[in-house]
Amino acid sequence: MAEDPLTLDQVRTMAEEIGMTRLSDEHLQQLLRATKAARARRAVLPFADLTPADEPAHVLVLAREDRA
Amino acid sequence: MTDLAYMSIADAAQLLRDKKLSPVEYARALIARIESHDKMINAFLRFTPEIALEDARRAEAEILRGAWRGPFHGVPYGLKDIVDYAGLPTTAHSKILRDNVATADAVVAQKLRAAGAVFMGKMSTHEFAIGGPSFDLPWPPARNPWNRDHFCGGSSSGSGAATAAGFLPAAIGTDTGGSVRNPASMCGIVGMKPTYGLVSRRGVLPLAFSLDHVGALTRTVRDNALMLDLIAGHDPLDPGSANRATGGYTALLGRGVKGVRIGVIRHFYTRDIHADAEMAAGIEAAVRQLADLGAEVREIETAPLETYAACNRTIMMSEAFAVHEKWMRECPQDYGTLARERLMGGAFIRAADYVNATRVRRKMAADFHAHFRDIDVAVTASSMDPACRIDDAKAVESTYPRQARAPFNVTGSPALSMPAGFSKTGLPLALQIVGAPFTEALVYRVAHAYEQATTWTHRHPALE
Repeated sequence: MAEDPLTLDQVRTMAEEIGMTRLSDEHLQQLLRATKAARARRAVLPFADLTPADEPAHVLVLAREDRA
Repeated sequence: MTDLAYMSIADAAQLLRDKKLSPVEYARALIARIESHDKMINAFLRFTPEIALEDARRAEAEILRGAWRGPFHGVPYGLKDIVDYAGLPTTAHSKILRDNVATADAVVAQKLRAAGAVFMGKMSTHEFAIGGPSFDLPWPPARNPWNRDHFCGGSSSGSGAATAAGFLPAAIGTDTGGSVRNPASMCGIVGMKPTYGLVSRRGVLPLAFSLDHVGALTRTVRDNALMLDLIAGHDPLDPGSANRATGGYTALLGRGVKGVRIGVIRHFYTRDIHADAEMAAGIEAAVRQLADLGAEVREIETAPLETYAACNRTIMMSEAFAVHEKWMRECPQDYGTLARERLMGGAFIRAADYVNATRVRRKMAADFHAHFRDIDVAVTASSMDPACRIDDAKAVESTYPRQARAPFNVTGSPALSMPAGFSKTGLPLALQIVGAPFTEALVYRVAHAYEQATTWTHRHPALE
């Protein structure tokens, strides 16, 4: 998998935009690692297999929806 | 009399009801054990012997006048410290909530109180049930009673360690990606994550709303079933609560497994991840044992672990960040290092990715549950490795992906971890048994048959 190009400066800007203005440099490094990891997980999920009719599991009510 | 430290709830209940065991004597014995040994284990974040003795005296008076309330009357227990107990702080093992005093009991605590159980204290956890084991928090992390240099699993760490150490016969934990079953696996005890919605989460600090489950850690299968009988039940004030009849979880114990159809999810621990050789051998031996007992064993295939894990984490991180965003803005420095980084992972997950993960989840759950047309329960690994050293940060971090528990938070299925032997170094091995939604009684039946055919739950760690 290609290296996520997200940079520390970008993540600092993104953090400030959502009000996370008190992060130290160490915290920003953590945020960068965590964000890259989250994006890597997205690549694993089979979103391409979803059809428009596939509903979310709003709350998992197993008795009605999922019991085989 | 059997050693009180390792007495089962079922045995203790009989003695308590028959007035052959005093609740006060029982509580005092465990209090003494905790005072002697917990400084080495750190299972308790807040030990409350004064409350325990008050509860025990009340139970004793009631039982002596013939008002026995049931199998938990006079039985000690602990609560993971994300579960509210009125009048005590619910800290989530975090500096951020150290003064967060609960004004009411969580529903599970209400039920234990009403059953006359004896509250012993709040148990260590990973910070906010996600960041640990950490050494930069106001309280130390719990350690493994089998070898205190080793990790005891988490995030219901203290609940698992205390139960294995003979401090308590049962403790309440929570499970969002495996946090009841991980300490059960690492500590050689029984941990059940019930079906999503079976046990109320009201009064429990959320990690991720749609993945959070409340469950119990015990030393025996029967005790776990007894606990679920007590804590399960519809709660109209919990939006995820299932509105259906509960109870009867001990009803099938003792019926064996002859004719029970078991599907082994072998690819989780042989192909998706290669489990430690001793762990894999322990699981295979358990499968053979179940077959020898008369179960019909076949292999089944489901989605790869990696897909389940990504689905679990995407949903968990998104929902958890929604809970923590305010504190991340106001006081990010007050988190421990591990919790901060794990929780930050949800900051920039796109809304569409979160929604799509929940859509994938629904399909994965339906696909997995379709297997139960041909099987009654599934068996697979819980952890891929025995407990690693607690001071080996890299090894501890690797335990999070090297597990097969998160799939059943995604599907919401009941899933139980139980002992399946010991490694050459004396650390517990574990097995996971999974059922269709709301078939906990069947899961317990299979677990009990295996437990009765082995001696693993008879072994206890030496704390001296």
